[in-house]
Amino acid sequence: MTSTAPYWGTAPIATHHMQSTGAFTSVAVRRSFGQNHVSAVPAPPGPPAPQQASSPSAAAAKAKRDWPASVRHYVQRAFASENSIPGINREEMETKLKQVISDSAESNTLLTVDWANKPLPQHMILDERQQSTYLNQNPPWGNGVAPLSIYETNQRSTDSPSKKRKSSDLDSSQDGLQNLPPWRFANSHNVFEARITHPDKRQRNDLSGKSTSKSHQAKNKKRFEDGQAGYVSPKQPFTPSQLNTPPQEMDQGPVIGRCQDLEKKYFRLTSAPNPDTVRPLPVLERTLDLLKRKWKKENNYSYICDQFKSLRQDLTVQHIKTEFTVNVYEIHARIALERGDLGEYNQCQTQLRALHSQHLGGHPEEFKAYRILYFIHTCNRTDMNNALADLTPEEKKVPAIKHALETRSALALGNYHRFAQLYLSTPNMGAYLMDMFVGRERLAALSNMCLSYKPSIKLRFFTEELGFESDDESARFICDHGGQAFLEDREGEVLILTGKAGRFFEAARQAAFQKVDIKGQI
Amino acid sequence: MEVLFRDFQTACQEGSGHLLAATISPIAPPSYLNRLDAIYKDSDVASISQDVARGLTKSAHAAIQYPNPQIDTWTEIYTAYWYAIGGIIAAEQPTSRPEWLRVYMAWKDLANTIIKHYSSGVLEAWTLPVLYMAGKHLRIFAIKADEAAAASGGSDTFNTGEIQEDIAGDFDKNQKLEDAARVINRMFTLCISDRAPLEESRKWGLYYTANLQFKTYFKLNSPSLCKNVIRALGAGRTDMPDLDAFPRSHIVTWKYYVGVLRFLEEDYAGAEESLTSAWHMCHHSATHNIELILTYLIPTCLLTRQLLPSPRLLSPYPRLAEIFTPLVDAIRSGSLSTFDAALADGEAEFVKRRIYLTLERGRDMCLRNLLRKVYLATGMDEEGKRRTRIRVAEFGAAIRLGERGVEGENLENDEVECMVANMICKNLIKGYISRAHGMVVLSKNGAFPGTGI
Repeated sequence: MTSTAPYWGTAPIATHHMQSTGAFTSVAVRRSFGQNHVSAVPAPPGPPAPQQASSPSAAAAKAKRDWPASVRHYVQRAFASENSIPGINREEMETKLKQVISDSAESNTLLTVDWANKPLPQHMILDERQQSTYLNQNPPWGNGVAPLSIYETNQRSTDSPSKKRKSSDLDSSQDGLQNLPPWRFANSHNVFEARITHPDKRQRNDLSGKSTSKSHQAKNKKRFEDGQAGYVSPKQPFTPSQLNTPPQEMDQGPVIGRCQDLEKKYFRLTSAPNPDTVRPLPVLERTLDLLKRKWKKENNYSYICDQFKSLRQDLTVQHIKTEFTVNVYEIHARIALERGDLGEYNQCQTQLRALHSQHLGGHPEEFKAYRILYFIHTCNRTDMNNALADLTPEEKKVPAIKHALETRSALALGNYHRFAQLYLSTPNMGAYLMDMFVGRERLAALSNMCLSYKPSIKLRFFTEELGFESDDESARFICDHGGQAFLEDREGEVLILTGKAGRFFEAARQAAFQKVDIKGQI
Repeated sequence: MEVLFRDFQTACQEGSGHLLAATISPIAPPSYLNRLDAIYKDSDVASISQDVARGLTKSAHAAIQYPNPQIDTWTEIYTAYWYAIGGIIAAEQPTSRPEWLRVYMAWKDLANTIIKHYSSGVLEAWTLPVLYMAGKHLRIFAIKADEAAAASGGSDTFNTGEIQEDIAGDFDKNQKLEDAARVINRMFTLCISDRAPLEESRKWGLYYTANLQFKTYFKLNSPSLCKNVIRALGAGRTDMPDLDAFPRSHIVTWKYYVGVLRFLEEDYAGAEESLTSAWHMCHHSATHNIELILTYLIPTCLLTRQLLPSPRLLSPYPRLAEIFTPLVDAIRSGSLSTFDAALADGEAEFVKRRIYLTLERGRDMCLRNLLRKVYLATGMDEEGKRRTRIRVAEFGAAIRLGERGVEGENLENDEVECMVANMICKNLIKGYISRAHGMVVLSKNGAFPGTGI
């Protein structure tokens, strides 16, 4: 340990640590306490590790104080390996044990306590964690604190009412945190996780270890269920709606709904779903028909969107992954597209990508084409690259996808002439997506023309090159961007004085490309 | 087992982090191919932790008196290591079905144990290579575990029992690697949050752990996550050692990744700077690394400075030569159809390396070279000067000549104008288009900047 030498000189805290631990070195059995140098409690010596010979430590304990046999037995039980709970390490357990015994010693109850039936320290810890989790789940304080505890379990973070995930949040490239995939959430909150989330995390471990004690379960039940029979899954604690369902189902199996209503308002789940409010597949199929009719007749987007969300939710909680599911998502995506609700559209698109990859039917090609157009709009090169990587040579020949790819290529090369032609011949509902970025591309082309043509071009030429419907429309477009000064009527023909405009539209072009706003959820 | 304690003792005596790290290597050194076996067979589940404790105490007595926490710490580490190599030995048996998941879990235990003892302060900064060793192999084992999971047939990837809003959550195909990313992130946090004086600070591990994160995120196909790491490092820059003071290997990797990230963000000037510097600093024998750097540096320079790689530059790297040469030749000769064909041929490879969208823009250079040929072929006017007025139709003819098939025939002069307009905007051609005359009027001096005319 030659290199530790400088350490001693410069880091007094570390030195202290070393010395204090050094003092323990003579008592081999107390090694584990050596690290735990915060033990301010005048505690009885810890019992031995189960795999080590237990007699020396017992002797050591006797030497200092003669503990009642019941206490010693209790300590032995605490350390017995069959009583250990995964997720609670020995140090914690020992600290608790010390505290229990010294508390008892201080109050002179060592002989009166019923040690044989007293809960073991690890169970006490578990209980405390349950309670603190409960507090975290229902924070009495405001939002400022709550999200911290909520982030910790990635999935649950989305369920909290205090941190509502807007569909658009997923894509707001500005906000680093929101942009993260779920598995990163916990990660980026690592610092806090270390402080706050232990209880819950451990608890989850407990579940996997299947060692949750009976007494603890019973307590839990009493506390949160008002004495009703049932089982609370520690993964999703304190959800009364689970009560009627057997444990297996809650943990992994899908819910089977028994709601017969066709319509249902969408509520974000904050607990496991209640079968009474979930509609089974036959009902959902009728719901879809109803929604399609209503959309045609009433065209009420906010109602339809809400209904589709609850429809999707019911499908999800029942683990229904069929062509019907694909159908629902596709219809919702198209409706969202029609209304320019890109946030909702993108949610569907993401799901559809996964669903299509399972070959459940539907129209994967149509949506792959949309995806490409969507990434043109968001200027997301990483996603675009991924989308390109996903395509097979056959798919590239499908008209819709071919169109999207050509559009992409034309824009990448600045070929506005070709772009306008493609814009006017967009298959399916791609035009709704093209509309999203046609403005900025026209602006780019206008800026381009002003730099390269001298002294002027006819407005007619601009109209035709960029696929405007009429000279009026293109003139309005130029005026909207403040370029009326560059329009001149000469002998019955309108000219754009490109030479004069020069770099005028450059700033507008840059601004248009900078803000790609997809938060526009309706 | 003895070899472990002996190596441990030597490493401690010499204060060499790398020697110490070598003691927990999951790969046997060439000098002792049986190392893992020897260590593993020397103990069993029941007694491993006592065996290690005893061994360490003994070697400690022989040399220096270690403080107790050190012994406890290393007992825990080596015990975890012992479990991990048990898995590795089993997984590497040619006959059995490799259980990389088990290896990964065991190695993760080891990594977590090491992290724990760093944060409790027992492990000092000089032992950082131990952390590197744990992180490096954690990533590798995670990838292997994921691969094994994928190979054994996809488990039901939907709905893992949590409350879900939508039908298909994240696919789990990289589940373990994502898990590993979290652990590696803790390693990074461990380094960045160390407030000890620089000489003994874990801050020296910053770039290594950051690079490890980059690597992981790239593998996870989410390079955007790297921004958080860069941001964290940027924020902590004031109390960090200078970049130059870090080991060269750390810097090269760091610059490479920063360069690639800038490349992906289309910050080509920044990318050129980082990648060039990585290229210059990279050890000349690290051909694979140089190859990686050049994979991005070549397209970058194509855009920033219209530079094409010479055959001499490419010759040591046959793979690079293979993917770039057809494109480069097409650009040199100004043949659009050859360029398009080469781009299409290499698309899969280019997309995989995320350079497709950049290389595509090389078409501008290709077109520029073609138009330049037209300009040169147009000849002189009466005064012996180059003609600077060229009809759009002349350019159109040249482009049509190169483009075969329907595309070429359908090319309208308006589209040719559009292409020329783009050239002018991108400053690849100096001049302007006079639409009224159907003419391109080129600048008398340097009509094609940077090409000598």
